[in-house]
Amino acid sequence: MQMEPASFPFLSAILLSCVVGMITIIVIPEEKKLLIKQVSVFFSGICLLLSVYVFFAFNRSAGGFQFVENVNWIPSLGISYFNGVDGFSLPNILLTGIVFFTGVLTMWELETRVKEYFALYFVLVAGVFGLFMSLDLFFIFVWYDVSLFPMYLLIAVWGTTRKEYGAMKLTLYLLAGSALILPAIIFLWAKSGLDTFSFVSLMHPGLFTPSVQKFAFLLLFIGFGILAAVWPFHTWSPDGHVAAPHGVSMVHAGVLMKIGAFGVLRLAIMLCPLGWIYWAKLMAVLAIIGIIYGALAGLRQTDLKYVIGYSSVSHMGVVGLGLSTVTVEGLNGAVFQMFAHGIMTALFFSSVGYIYDRTHTKNIPELGGLSRIVPVASAFFIVAALAGIGLPGLANFWGELVVFLAAFKVYPLFGVIAVVTLVVTALFMLRVVQKTFYGPANPRYAALRDVTPWLGVPRIILVAVLLILGLYPALLFNVIRTASVPFMNGLPR
Amino acid sequence: MNWMTFSGPEIFYFGASLWFLLLTFTAKPESVNSGARGRTYLTAIFLASAGILVCLASVHAEGWLFIKAYKVDPFSQVFKTLLSLGLFLIVCICGQMTDIDERRHNEFFFLLFSCTLALMLLVSADHLLSIYLSLELSSYSLYILVALRKRRAQGLEAGIKYFLIGSFASAIMLFGMALLYSTCATAYLPEMAKVLPGMIGAPAVVTGLVFTLGGFFFKLAVFPFHSWAPDTYQGAPNQVAAYIATASKVAGIAIILRVLASAGQGSPYLVHILVILSVVSMTLGNLAAIAQKDLKRLLAFSTVAHSGYVLLAVLVMDASAYSAAIFYAVAILVMKFTAFMVVVELAPDGRNLRIDELAGLHRRSPLMALALLVALFSLAGIPPTIGFTGKFLIFTAAIQKGYVALVIIAMINVVISLYYYLLVIKAAYLLEPARTLPPLVLSFPKRLLAGLSIVTIVVAGFCPYWLIQIAQAAAQPLILGR
Repeated sequence: MQMEPASFPFLSAILLSCVVGMITIIVIPEEKKLLIKQVSVFFSGICLLLSVYVFFAFNRSAGGFQFVENVNWIPSLGISYFNGVDGFSLPNILLTGIVFFTGVLTMWELETRVKEYFALYFVLVAGVFGLFMSLDLFFIFVWYDVSLFPMYLLIAVWGTTRKEYGAMKLTLYLLAGSALILPAIIFLWAKSGLDTFSFVSLMHPGLFTPSVQKFAFLLLFIGFGILAAVWPFHTWSPDGHVAAPHGVSMVHAGVLMKIGAFGVLRLAIMLCPLGWIYWAKLMAVLAIIGIIYGALAGLRQTDLKYVIGYSSVSHMGVVGLGLSTVTVEGLNGAVFQMFAHGIMTALFFSSVGYIYDRTHTKNIPELGGLSRIVPVASAFFIVAALAGIGLPGLANFWGELVVFLAAFKVYPLFGVIAVVTLVVTALFMLRVVQKTFYGPANPRYAALRDVTPWLGVPRIILVAVLLILGLYPALLFNVIRTASVPFMNGLPR
Repeated sequence: MNWMTFSGPEIFYFGASLWFLLLTFTAKPESVNSGARGRTYLTAIFLASAGILVCLASVHAEGWLFIKAYKVDPFSQVFKTLLSLGLFLIVCICGQMTDIDERRHNEFFFLLFSCTLALMLLVSADHLLSIYLSLELSSYSLYILVALRKRRAQGLEAGIKYFLIGSFASAIMLFGMALLYSTCATAYLPEMAKVLPGMIGAPAVVTGLVFTLGGFFFKLAVFPFHSWAPDTYQGAPNQVAAYIATASKVAGIAIILRVLASAGQGSPYLVHILVILSVVSMTLGNLAAIAQKDLKRLLAFSTVAHSGYVLLAVLVMDASAYSAAIFYAVAILVMKFTAFMVVVELAPDGRNLRIDELAGLHRRSPLMALALLVALFSLAGIPPTIGFTGKFLIFTAAIQKGYVALVIIAMINVVISLYYYLLVIKAAYLLEPARTLPPLVLSFPKRLLAGLSIVTIVVAGFCPYWLIQIAQAAAQPLILGR
């Protein structure tokens, strides 16, 4: 595996700006709400710029791990502070940067306990960034939990529907996942006999015996699968999404679920490829059940956020299906879908947030005809819904297309089922759009004001990303390929 | 005389407790005014902080005392430093002991210092008799400390429960020691370590070992000797409960490590028993804690659970496990202290704190709320905190020896424990009090103490290498001593 050290620690700079941002927010007195928001925008903007820079500066012809930073942390256990990005993590870092920045802007109108909100939000995002860039198993676990622990407070304090229940359920589910991940990580460390937690050293085919790989893969797959909302471990996700405040829902559905899928890819698949091949059929079955279940459950919902929550379960099933094909195309499609789904759900929650803040309801029957009252705000939601259906020209189309093509080759039956389910997804998305934005308008909301340009900024960024990648998907595929092709070529068969 | 140079801490704490004993004789009962109380308190602070320096100065000492019944080595010296630190922290939160009769403050400090002295003797004890003597000395001080509470009924009940179970445990321990002595024909731990491997399968030896450990299980509140913990924590003055939860636990971990490292090698029966006790302790402690309404009772059950985690490290019995257990002792000291500091600050009149009384804490004192949050997440074992790193070290040691299933059980317990810690955090951050309570005014030293505790928990969790090195150095004599 090729590794190129960083000339400047860009990755640590991203983490550092999160930490410095958090400390700055803590220092500012609580009353200066505007200043806190400005500081948050400033530091999240730096994170966004750095992640965009890293994305474009990544050498696509060289591939491998780039921007590598390696510092010994606990030598006696072989733990090092080891960062680097490859084609799998790079899209996720860019995604985190975009969702982080737009998430801060989406919460611009927040008035209660502003300081605590943004401080916790920065901790959350620091954990997410850290996880995507870390190449040390110990740190991957630490960052995983760093991103979990602010969630309880973020949801329980600023959330809406059944927030305490949703927060507790989410936290316990995700921690149960980590209860499987930690033993698996230590197990791999002990079995390798190398006395190192470094991902790069452990990622050698043939290092672990097949039985070790099968066992560790299962632990890691279930552990991270909970976070990726793999059926039947998905039930925290709709409840959590609905309960969370909009900005947190964005990070949560947009990025945090990707951590799960990324963890499966990075730890389970890349460290235990034999286990992956062994359990691939199980993964495929769970994924396909998730796709169908999410779509059908989404049909019945009357709460806007529940609709998105269940559609997420369905869309993450597509990611799982891609990962389960054991092909280059499957991996490419899965990572692309992770990115596209992240941007799409962020747009969903951001636009629902605007509507909810004005109308104080997410109940579909109470809304209606909104497109005539707030055309711009409605347009954002409709774009997200169209992306969710998989309309060509928007990013999600490519992710789903590539995954389904790969699935057709490997599991023809599942491929057919998945495509049929797409129709159901289209049905419930269009139904929601029709009932919420068309039809007779509820007179109570006739006086709503449309999105101002400033508040529209985050949504416009998200729409633009969806469009750019929809029209020019190679931008992302070229990056993912630098990781997926060498990995699959090195796979023991 | 060279014994003076390397038993500095013991002599110092002996002198300090004598000083308070003298004060109890000279103080006139009628004329206790705030000035006298302040002087007593300042003396205690001064002596406790000087004690840390004395311990640090003698940290490199090595040797034997009292016909080799008393061993001074890096292991004992590190633990003595920890104990002195624990005492200092506890004295820091003894500023307003409204719950203890003002005329008894000198006695309180006398008992606190003499108990610390006893615990220091315990971590150095290398002979069954010196172990027993120092264990009893520390327990007797604690029995009285628990019963000192002004709320007579509560304190006395707690003290008597503690005393009865304690004397029961020490009777069992004495029986076990007698069995060990009769089979090994020696009471020196190093001598036993030489004799025991040949006859570790003998029933009398295993029984003797388990019974001897019973006394330490009582100290650590391991199942089945845990039942005193919730009642005693609840009935004891808050500061005393804090002391039992921190310093006393640290010494308990030390002595169980010392005894098992020299006498417990190579017995599968003993390991099986320890596995069962560990699993039962952590599961029982965590499940029972869910139902608690009183914060101190909750912390008591969480102590039982933590003793289960410690046993997990103890039963692995190799170098990395010993250093993990020592690291975890530091973690317990810091995080339990931080949690109890919040209890003491929130109940200035010394009452027992119900969990719902935490309502609105985030507004009354953001700093205290944050301290509670960090301490509880650390107790639950969420990174980046010292509690997580401690658990991580224990788990790596256990999995290296092949106890994967045991670690998974422990991790499931971590999830259970997070539930009740989150309930406490919810009370502090979400619930609003029925009537608005005034903001909590904290003096500068208290704010400093809270801030330092938070920073220590997080920084030691994130950059633990320095602490791990100390733990490894301290664990060295346990391996060489075999």
